[in-house]
Parts: sequence; C-alpha cells; structure tokens
Amino acid sequence: MTEQLLTVAGLESGYGEIRVLWGVDIEVRPGEIVCLIGSNGAGKTTLLKTISGLVQPTAGRISAEGRDIGGLGSGDVLRAGIAHVPEGRRLFRTMTVRDNLLMGAYLRNDEPARVQQDLDRVMTIFPRLAERARQDAGTLSGGEQQMCAIGRGIMSDPKLLMIDELSLGLAPRAVEQLSETLVEINRNGVAILLVEQDVMTALDLAHRAYVLDRGRVTLSGPSAELADAPAVREAYIGVS
Amino acid sequence: MLYLQILLNGLMLGGLYACIAVGFSLVWGVLNVINILHGSFVVLGSYIAYFAYVHLGIHPFFSIVLSGGALFALGYAVQAGLINRVVGAPVLTTLVLTFGLDLLLNNSMLLAFSADYRTVRLENPFGSLVVANLVVPLNRLYAMLLAVVLTGLLYVVLMRSRIGRAIVAVRMDPEAAALMGVNVKRIFALTFGIGALMAGGAGSLLSLIFPISPLASTDFLGIAFVVCVLGGLGSIAGAMVGGLALGVIQSFGALFIGPEHGLTIAFVLLIILLIFKPTGLMGRRGYE
Repeated sequence: MTEQLLTVAGLESGYGEIRVLWGVDIEVRPGEIVCLIGSNGAGKTTLLKTISGLVQPTAGRISAEGRDIGGLGSGDVLRAGIAHVPEGRRLFRTMTVRDNLLMGAYLRNDEPARVQQDLDRVMTIFPRLAERARQDAGTLSGGEQQMCAIGRGIMSDPKLLMIDELSLGLAPRAVEQLSETLVEINRNGVAILLVEQDVMTALDLAHRAYVLDRGRVTLSGPSAELADAPAVREAYIGVS
Repeated sequence: MLYLQILLNGLMLGGLYACIAVGFSLVWGVLNVINILHGSFVVLGSYIAYFAYVHLGIHPFFSIVLSGGALFALGYAVQAGLINRVVGAPVLTTLVLTFGLDLLLNNSMLLAFSADYRTVRLENPFGSLVVANLVVPLNRLYAMLLAVVLTGLLYVVLMRSRIGRAIVAVRMDPEAAALMGVNVKRIFALTFGIGALMAGGAGSLLSLIFPISPLASTDFLGIAFVVCVLGGLGSIAGAMVGGLALGVIQSFGALFIGPEHGLTIAFVLLIILLIFKPTGLMGRRGYE
C-alpha cells in the first residue's frame, strides 16, 4: 500500500491518563481532499496533533508514503512532507506576515531563490497577504489570519496539508473564499486533510470523509454518500 | 552645567546597564526562566577580561570575543544539560535551580579568585575628553558605545536572521514553532547561551570601570531586575530604555542623596514601579 500518502492504522493516543483515540484507521491518497468530521471532543484535533508529532501515540502505526513516522518529532514529520495548520491559526502575532510565512520554510535548505519563488506563489494565491506583507500578523482580520496560517503551511512545500478548523470564527464569505483557494492549492498537487465543525462546508469541499466519534471512526466514504447518510444528516446537519 | 554633566554620566552608565540586562531579559522572556546566574556570568566575563589583559595583554574591548564565546558555551551547556529538564515547570522550580547553580558558580569563583577586588589598569589609559567644561572619561564612553553596538547587534540578529526569527517564534508560541520544525529545546539552549554571551560581553566592558569581585554579582543581578521591570520584559528596546533610565536616575540620585545609595535608589524605584506601573515604562505585559 505504498501509494498512500498517509496511512493511520489502529492509532491510540491521548494526554497522560486520558485516552482520546481508540484505534483510528484513516488514509489519504496523493492529490485527495479528505475531511474529518465529528462533534466536539471526538478526537479530531488530537488525531492531527498525533500525526504531526505534538502528541505521542501509545499504540498503532502512522506512515507517510510507506515510511513509519509514528513517534517522530514535529520537525521530522514536516520533513516527511506533512504540514499542520493548527486550530486557532496560532500565528506569531508580533512578527510580520512575511516573517510568519518564512517561518513556514524554516526547515528548508534549498536555495533562497526557491523559497522566494514559493513566497511569491503564496502572495499570488492570497493577494491580501501581499498587501499586508510588512504588517504584524496580529493586526490581520480573522480571514486574513487563516490565509496567513495556510500560506505558512504551504511554505514548507508539503505533500499533505492538515488544516484544523478552517472556518472557526470566520464570516461565511471568508470561508467561501478560503474553500475556493484550498481547491486551487489541491489542484496544484497538494493533498489536504481537513478537520471541520461545519459539516456542510467540509463535505462540499472533500472527496472523501471520515466521521469520528468518541475516538473511533464510525463512518467513512465518499463525501456525497456521507452527506446523504441518515446518521450524518441527523447527528451533524440537523435534518432528518 | 553640573546637571548636564550628571545626565551624561547617567547615560554612559545606562548604556552599560542595558547591556547587562538585555540577556537576562531575553532569557526571562523566551524561556520564562529567571536566571539568577546572570550576575555571576557578568563577573565571570570580567575575570576573563582581567586575566586576558594581565597574562595575554589583550585589551578588554577585544576580549569581548573571549568572554562572550566562553560564556556562550557555558550557558548553552547549562541549559541543554540541566535547565531543559525542568523548563516547563513552574517558575519557582527553575528559579531554585538557577539559584543553586549560582551558589555553585559564585563560590567557585570565590575559591579560585578570592573576594579581593581587582581592577584592570590599562598601560595606556584613554584619559578624558573635555568639551565646554563637560568631562567625558573616554573609557566609559567607548565602553558604553560598544555596549550599545553589542545590544544593537543582538537586535539585528533577532529580527533579521533565521535563528533569530525562530527565537522570537518560540517566545510567542512554542507549540506553533515546533510545528514549523523548530527544535524548541535547542532554541532554549541557544537563547540561554546568547543571554550568557551578552553577560560575558558586558563583563568585559565593565572590567574597565568597576572593581571585579564575585561579591559584585548580586549588584549586577539587581540591576538586571530593575532594568527589566523599568523597560518591560523580553524586549530589547525595553532593556535599552530601562537601562538608560536607571543610569540617569542613579546619577541624579547620587548627587542629591549620596553615591553610596545607588542600589538603594534602584530598588526603591523597583518597588514604586511594581506598585504603580507593573507593566513597565514601555507598557508591555508579559510576553507580548
């Protein structure tokens, strides 16, 4: 199964005594958009944090393109091509937008010219960031901050971009814009693993979806199918 | 004219104070560690400058490289080997650790160098510049200018270099920095090393002006504390403003109250500030 970009099998993890994930299996193939939906406390954020090395797994396997990355530090996971845009953006507030983006390229040691090229590319994808390149990131609006956080993720030149809570605290118009941009980024060959509370937005955007409930995957399949599944409609969309 | 002279003295002193405090402030801001060792680091820097001058004939202005380098290595090792093990713990834990390490370092210096005061006596003293009745002791002027240059260099490194950006990022959000691939523990060690380097450099400069003894370490630590509270924590500009302010206040205090009360004035000021403006003159609170 080496064609999988990311394979998570039987993953268990948590914080100290508290177990959050109870044997999670998910996969992301190259070029895919996959979303993870589920209610608060289902373990979505913990799953991303465990993949990116912020939380150590207690059992199970995580591999990137067939290579075991479970238990590695965040830097090594990033080197394996997996970038994590954390919940709440977590920008470096008193650093400029440009410096925030450059932090995304922290580990890259290819020539500065290529990093500059990617910086220009991010600025083309998000023209607002180009306008505000010299401003402190803390002065940006919510939508612009999310642009900056996603741009910072792209700056590491990843194969897989994991985004936690894309729409959190944003105006519907901003979410729409960001969604369009994600599709564009995806078309350029970057796979996306999206965690989202707003189930309609998520299913709209993704090719496939997983439903996570109390630390286990309870449903999975193509987004269109899941959007019609009675269990999903009842629990997460509020219609029956 | 007298007041102008005193203002000048205060500014010259203040530039050095800023250089003493900036490393202490950086470590406090980035690691949330109150480094009680800082005063002893300054003294060790002074001893390195003293011995480099007496035995090797290296001028203290040039031995900054030696004292800075040696203290960087020492600081890096202390952080990587010891403080990193407890760096996430409450401030009191790290405070006790650095306090204990300070007892070790300070008493080692007492054993090795004794408590006798020494001074660097230059073979060719700089003398003084007299401009319109203002007397400017050149050793102080040059030391102060070098201190400002050193502090400015640190500022440029933090703002413009890749490592500097990583240090600032870790200060603001260690977890987000880790997601960028920053090795946070290594940045902690580097930051502590840079803090010690600044202390060592300041020690070299001070060796020309103040008598050297392990007993002076608490004075330097006290100065670093007051400057940080005056200027606000964790910013270089704050340390600069706080240092100059303290230098000027102390000089005028010495005129009106008496030079022997220099530190008393500093600490009274600290208490007043903590009561009325705990965010410091620059108005920053904590980490922002």
